[in-house]
Parts: sequence; structure tokens; C-alpha cells
Amino acid sequence: MAARNELRQQQELIGAIQPALHVPQNWNYLIDHPLYKAYMHPPHDVGGQFDAPGVYEEKEEEQWELDTYVTCEVLGWRGVWNSEERRRRADNDLGYSQYLGIPYYGRWILAAARMLVDKNHISLAELIEKIAEVKARNAKK
Amino acid sequence: MSHTHKPGDGGGERHAAPQVDEITDFEVLEIAIRELAIEHGLFTAEDHRRFTEWTESVGPAAGSRLVAKAWVDPAFKARVMEDAVKACKEIGIDWAEPTGFGTPSDYMNLRVLEDTPTLHHVIVCTLCSCYPRPLLGMSPEWYRTTNYRRRLVRWPRQVLAEFGLIIPPEVEVRVEDSNQKCRFMVMPVRPEGTENWSEKQLAEIVTRDCMIGVALPKPGRTADVHPVQKARRPVQE
Amino acid sequence: MPKSKAANKSETAAGKARFKVGDRVRVKDMPNLFYTRTQMYVRGVVGTIAECTYRDLIPEDEAFNRDGKLEQYYIVRFKQKDLWPEYPFENDTLQTESPERWLEPA
Repeated sequence: MAARNELRQQQELIGAIQPALHVPQNWNYLIDHPLYKAYMHPPHDVGGQFDAPGVYEEKEEEQWELDTYVTCEVLGWRGVWNSEERRRRADNDLGYSQYLGIPYYGRWILAAARMLVDKNHISLAELIEKIAEVKARNAKK
Repeated sequence: MSHTHKPGDGGGERHAAPQVDEITDFEVLEIAIRELAIEHGLFTAEDHRRFTEWTESVGPAAGSRLVAKAWVDPAFKARVMEDAVKACKEIGIDWAEPTGFGTPSDYMNLRVLEDTPTLHHVIVCTLCSCYPRPLLGMSPEWYRTTNYRRRLVRWPRQVLAEFGLIIPPEVEVRVEDSNQKCRFMVMPVRPEGTENWSEKQLAEIVTRDCMIGVALPKPGRTADVHPVQKARRPVQE
Repeated sequence: MPKSKAANKSETAAGKARFKVGDRVRVKDMPNLFYTRTQMYVRGVVGTIAECTYRDLIPEDEAFNRDGKLEQYYIVRFKQKDLWPEYPFENDTLQTESPERWLEPA
């Protein structure tokens, strides 16, 4: 019996130090305070986390990035949202995968889109149709 | 993926057909959002144009002018340290522009961090990428990365060394984590070898990296050199 | 007029601040949920008030479009050795901004 318990413990420890496999867990009753706290940690708070030296690059701005910045700021100018709301949405509400994976201004425009739908300025159905229309308009001939 | 540029549809609305073959999902989304916002009266195309104009007008030259003027004029420097937003007007920058009450993201709370021979400042925004746009323009890509934001607060001297800057141990390195509504800019120490220089000559060596704190100004150093990722569809002039 | 207008032109303190420059303060470790701008790495650490900046909405309110009471903000300065146990340089410091509710006297 003891050997089977030790085996299960080893498997759990090995699983804990492996990269996550992102499979659903159906039972998670034993979430202690540190793990809960880690789950609730706002993704944008990265100061002091480990990272490796890299090459610090500049980037030429895309036209759509400039347009995104201006659209988001003008929405703020005209009182539709404020920048704290933008930061909350773009840097936290998207969740880790999108936060770490989607380009900087991609998160800005996603946050603006979600805000407009959440606050009922536009409907999601309308947005989906408009996206399809813009895609069709710009499709390769 | 083709990068051929075809002639555009001429000036006018920015949501004309793109000039390369492929349009990205983010570009589609931005166009959709902007068109819907205008259709619903949330803002006007003119608002977008005006704000774009302001965005294209800002850059680090204003910050360089401020530092150069502070170096030659101690009374101006004192005014900068007393009320930086007000002092900016003397070098032609109004933090209230273009809305009349400041931009939504940059606010009107500038603080200039004055370096001394025993104190070196360097700036980061660990939570996002807050940056003094009216004085320095748009932030560099590396400033926005999780890499810089994770590491600068905890390993500042290592990060500075990667920028080619080694600060002696007896000099205090002070990191400014710009996490709320103040916006910061570094005023470096005026380097040796610049005696009797004009403000224009001085401004040329105060580059953007010097005003973030990852470089020091020195005679002959007039550019920040980093690898540049080119855009597929860069901003049209 | 947008709510952000009041936030941009923040009032300055006028004797309503709880702390003054030079006070020793500790950053409270309040529960994290959904949003905050008080970083993990300063929680529980004692620093010194370096500046009183402005009065404004707290991020936890403004990010959710709530009008709230304006609070005094401060720049708080820490010794790097107090923030990171392994930090090897004696003199280095870090400063960051905090609204009053996140600070308590140390």
C-alpha cells in the first residue's frame, strides 16, 4: 500500500513541475490559499518575474496599429470609456493566453470591441456582420 | 505572402482598400469597430483625423529641447522641477492637447526625474507601458514587452548592461515604476565635453533612450541604435 | 463631458492627505480580485513617502466606471534590498505610486 501511495505522490509532484498540459480537471477541491492567490493574480502584474535576457528591438508601426491607438483614445476622448477601463480589459480580462500571446495593439482593439458590446453601444450580432462585411470588401480578387 | 504595394485610392478616408494583398484579422476588427463607432455617433471621422494628427506630431525632440534648455538655464530647470507640465509650455508642448483636458492615457501629471552624479534614474511601467507621449512620442517596442517590465524592477543593472550602460556600484540606481497617473522623464546629468555648446547641439545628444534612463548622453552619440522589425504595412505618410 | 476629464485634471492635496513626505508606510496586502494596480512585489514592504502627487479616483473604481471618493496618491520609495532578498547593491532604490487606501503607517 505504502509503495502505491508514494508512486501517486511522485506522479503528482512530477505533474506539478511539468509544463501544464491544459487538460480539464474535473475535481479541484483542494485549492489552498497560495494556489487560489496565484489563480487570482492579475496577469498584468509581472514586475519581478523571471525572464531571460533578450534583444531589445524597435518595431516599425503598422497602419492598423496607429489607427487602433487613435480609435481607442478617441473613444476615451468622447467619454465612451476611460483608459483605466482599457487597461483593465486589455491587460487583465483577456486572460493569460491572450495576454501573453496576442500582439500589444491586438489586445487594445479586442478590449475596445468587448467594451462596446458589454456596454451595449453595439450588438455582438452587428459586430460579427460588420467584420464579415469588412473582410468581404477587402478580399483578394 | 506578397508585399507588393499597389497605388492607393488617394487620400481621404483611411478605410479605403488596403494596398497589399492580405489584410490581418486585427486590421479588419479595427476597421469594423471604427465604422460602427462612427455610424453609432460615438465619435466622428474628424475626431479620428485630429487625434491622428496629434499622434503624428509628438516625438522625443520635445523632451530633448526641454533637457537642453534646463542644462543651460538653471531658472528654467527650477521651473521644470517645480511644475513640469507648466514648464513644458515654454518649449511648445501643451499637455492639455488635443482634447483640451489632456489625452485619455497620458493625463497631466508629468514629473521630471533629475539625475545627479550619485543618482541614476530609469523608468518602466511594469503593469502596461505608461509613457510621457506628449514629450517623448510613442513608446519603443521593447519598453512594452513583458521581458523589460518583468526584469527592470528586480535586475536593473543587468538590464542596463544589456543596453550597454554600466553604472558604478556607489551610484544609486533608482527605478521608477510608473504604475498610476504620473508620467516620468529622466533629466540626465550634462556630460563633460559640452561646455559652451548651444541648446541645439545639446538637444542632439539627448536621445529618447537617455530620457528613459537606459542610455547616457555623450558628445558624438546622437542616435539610439536597436534592431528594427519592419512593418508589413507601415503607417502611410 | 467624459468622466475621465475630472481624473485628468486631478486636484492637488490641500491638507487632506493622511501621509506626508518622509513618513514610513507599509503597503497593505489586500485580497486580489479582478483588478488592481498595486503590485505584488511591494505588498507588505515598508517604504518612505517621497512625494504627494494628486487626488484621484482609485483604479479599482475607475476601471469599472464608478464615480468614487477622490483619494490622495503618493510616490513611495523602497530600498531594493527590502524588495528582493537577494539584491546585491546597497544603495539602490525603487519608487512607485500608490493611492492612500493601500498604505498604512509603519
